[in-house]
Amino acid sequence: MKTLSILRSGAVGLATLAATSFNSMALAQDVALQYWVYSDFAQGDALAMQEEFVKEFTASHPGVTIEIVGKGDDDLTAGQVAGAASGTLPDVFMNSQSVGAQLVEVGALANIYEKWMAMPAEYRAQFDESALNACMPRPSELYCLPYTGFGSLLFRNLTVLEKAGIDPTPPTTWDEWLGQMKKIKEAGFYAVPDQTAVFNSIAEIYATTGSADSWGFNWDTKTTKIDPANMTKVLAKFVELVPLNSGTSRNDQATKDLFISDQLAFHTIGPWVNPTYAEAAKASGLKYDFVLIPGDTAGKTGGIRSYEMVGVAPGPNADVAFEFAAFLTEKAQMARWAKLLSRYNANAAAMADPDVSALPLIRVSVDAAHGAMDVAAPYFIGSVPSCYNSTVIDIASATADGEYTPEAGAAEMITKLNECLAE
Amino acid sequence: MTVVTTRPTIWTVLKWALAILIALIALFPIWWMVNVVFSMPGEPVSLNPRLWPTSLSAGIEKIRVIFTETEYLRAYGISLIYAVLTIAGVLTFGSLAAFEFSLFDFPGRRILFGIILLSLMVPTAVTIIPTYLLTSQLGWLNTMHGLVVPGLASAFGLFMLVQFMRAVPKDMIEAARLDGASHFQIYWHIALPLCRNAMVTLAILTFMQTWGNYMWPLIVSSKPQLYTVGQVVGLFNSPLSHQTVDMVMTANLLAAIPPLLFFLIFQRKIVEGVAMSGTKG
Amino acid sequence: MSLRRHLPHYMMIAPFMVLFAAFFLYPIISGFFYSFHDWNGARPPEYVGVANYTKILHSRDFATAMGNLAVYIAITVPLGILVALGLALLVDSFTGRWANFFRNAYFMPVVLPAFLAATIWRWIYAPNFGLLNVALGWFGLGSINFLNNSSTMLYSLIAVDVWVSAGFNMVILLAGLKNIPTELYEAARLDGANKWQQIVHITVPMLAPVLFFVVTYSLISAMQVFDKPWLLTGSSFTSYGGRRNALLFPVMDMMGRAFGGVKFGEAAAYGFLLTLAIVTVTALMFALRSWSARK
Repeated sequence: MKTLSILRSGAVGLATLAATSFNSMALAQDVALQYWVYSDFAQGDALAMQEEFVKEFTASHPGVTIEIVGKGDDDLTAGQVAGAASGTLPDVFMNSQSVGAQLVEVGALANIYEKWMAMPAEYRAQFDESALNACMPRPSELYCLPYTGFGSLLFRNLTVLEKAGIDPTPPTTWDEWLGQMKKIKEAGFYAVPDQTAVFNSIAEIYATTGSADSWGFNWDTKTTKIDPANMTKVLAKFVELVPLNSGTSRNDQATKDLFISDQLAFHTIGPWVNPTYAEAAKASGLKYDFVLIPGDTAGKTGGIRSYEMVGVAPGPNADVAFEFAAFLTEKAQMARWAKLLSRYNANAAAMADPDVSALPLIRVSVDAAHGAMDVAAPYFIGSVPSCYNSTVIDIASATADGEYTPEAGAAEMITKLNECLAE
Repeated sequence: MTVVTTRPTIWTVLKWALAILIALIALFPIWWMVNVVFSMPGEPVSLNPRLWPTSLSAGIEKIRVIFTETEYLRAYGISLIYAVLTIAGVLTFGSLAAFEFSLFDFPGRRILFGIILLSLMVPTAVTIIPTYLLTSQLGWLNTMHGLVVPGLASAFGLFMLVQFMRAVPKDMIEAARLDGASHFQIYWHIALPLCRNAMVTLAILTFMQTWGNYMWPLIVSSKPQLYTVGQVVGLFNSPLSHQTVDMVMTANLLAAIPPLLFFLIFQRKIVEGVAMSGTKG
Repeated sequence: MSLRRHLPHYMMIAPFMVLFAAFFLYPIISGFFYSFHDWNGARPPEYVGVANYTKILHSRDFATAMGNLAVYIAITVPLGILVALGLALLVDSFTGRWANFFRNAYFMPVVLPAFLAATIWRWIYAPNFGLLNVALGWFGLGSINFLNNSSTMLYSLIAVDVWVSAGFNMVILLAGLKNIPTELYEAARLDGANKWQQIVHITVPMLAPVLFFVVTYSLISAMQVFDKPWLLTGSSFTSYGGRRNALLFPVMDMMGRAFGGVKFGEAAAYGFLLTLAIVTVTALMFALRSWSARK
């Protein structure tokens, strides 16, 4: 119960935290936690703040040492899968919810539902509900604490818009946006990246028409939830985008470069490109902003939503590891984290903090995340076979290439996706 | 075999043009990368196709940031130790075994050598997971020997040394034996000195291979204290990185500096060595 | 006693053999064992017979990967060696300092780590403003999307491949050229053979053993191609192979199944199917050599 009091005090302030920690000395044991984070968070200012969090936590938990280990996105998963096979898992880690099912399957991720329920109600109430639900595939199963997240944003190059004679009021519908894109092309610029090149940008455009109800997986019947009518409409959109796009993918460095050099008008992506664009604004006078991705009807938002998570491995350290995870995702830490990086996260209480919500990137991100579609939900149930994403990409790009009509493409895609899931 | 002509014919001119053109194709991409590093940050690549460096100080600043804010220098050290230990082991164990396989006959020689040759055809990706599990059972994860030891029995290295040692004259060995030299002394005083060039070649190839090795260090050393250069660069190359293009390029370029320097210093030996590995085979 | 007589031999090979058995043979054998099991690394393996093999043989990705591999090898190996041979002849026609300079320049890309080569080439290939497309623009040609157009991707990979490996093979062939006695050329010249005839009738036959080594080595490594296509397509464990799987190769698919799908048994089976293909091709090469030697 002493640990609970520590966590409760987190919101009150560090002074209290240090005081209560004195009591928990009796529980002290020597534990060394391995804490794996995204490589970005193991560099520069972000690392300094993570180290600060660790220092505060270990100060109140004598005998606990925590080692921060940075890993590239893919290397996190590879390291955990290998670690699961050899029994050397990181105790606390960040990763993407979309690999959650694999991690549960290999036993790298513990069900923390009971520990979670033992937390005070006011702690639990801090989190964004939909983010939290994504961690709960079934009642009484909770596999993660949602961490940073994103809703896709529409980054707009204002110089290009001006040169193409476009009113900088954000477009409210897909048709309006498409009209702008065509004008941009006529003015000799690229409108968007090739949205069929990667899975997430296909999902972003799908969300302009469909929603989470018709996306993702039905694990009971092992079928895709993609709706043929929606997909037909979306594939038709990709056909329309062919002459307008830059040929680079949403994630390519080259896409950022086109944007920075005033060749590309729109870039739909998460907030992580903002540091690059902010730097360019300083260095070469890039003028840009970020708005919501318009959907088919006014008021509907396109784009996807996804959260990074903090997970805990099963094992003897699981209790301390969970405490640390809970400490990290607690309002006081999440607010500091959000302010430092201007990054949206799953702690709704932290997002409501006036200092945080005043940050423009976060303000837009909150709306974006609420309107957006979960990219690969439901999580933590089945691991998505690799053929799934590649089938979506293949058929979207084949339809854009003109090999299928949108109707035939949508029908073919759904048949193949169901075959893939059935395997 | 060159036909030396006194006055340049059209062919000589064409030949030079072609040779220079190919040299440009081979070298320009490397030069281009240097130019990306030595330019102002945040400047788009497309506005300036980077035919030459534009800002020396900005490049130096990027290198300074990488050296001070990441563990790049330590990773250099780790990669170097990893490479040197691997080279030492591959040469020692490989040459001992090659000495026997190439110069002597003993029961089981052919079958053992055959198995070793067959293993050359198994992609490393097949064995990486079982090797990893074994390494972990030995308690060698996150240690230097865990990184090095599994790579020491190089079938390729053995094969290469065997090809060279076959050229050691049998009568020299007989003569030494009659002089009362022990088996090991023959290896040490006769066989080894005679295939010095092959050893150098193998050392070089092993260096290039260990330096570029990514997957094995990635899974064996999960702790940053043992990150190799490849792993540190991997932190920059991850697709959702917050890093700007030129920082990513700087991190990549720094990884290439040691092998490039190594090549420029030892170029004659390296080229001769690689050449020999093929022609003696 | 024969054992005592042979003991020194065994002692000398023992260190190598022990390491080899532990870190190559044992993993290969245990990989073979796992290839008949459903295994994710964490749970105990479950015997499934040849299910992993049949599943792979029937999967669309396997067919795509093998198809890509066949086309890739059919082009990259001959082209790579032809270019290397051309470079070797070119360098050989220079003398002294310039021969050294060109040889070193052509060899330079070999020294770069693969990730670096891939990073550079991703930029060179970038659509519209990448260096290559800018150069095409000078000649009034339109932009080509080298790495995101399923009909050009394979050739873009082959170009990078040749760029990286030509220098390596060139150096080997160059040494082979130096070993050809000059008298042969003189004799041919006296017989009135021109430069081209000399290459066809003297250089190539005399280089045959070296060429055999280069071809076999290139084949074996080309069949295991992994890092270049992986990096050029910006692959990750959940999504790899590039647009429409145009750059999907067996080792990539295998790594994806292992670390993305956590199916180690399936990945192992995949590896053995690929090994079988490599062994077959190598055996064919040796058969071809002894057949041509007999002729």
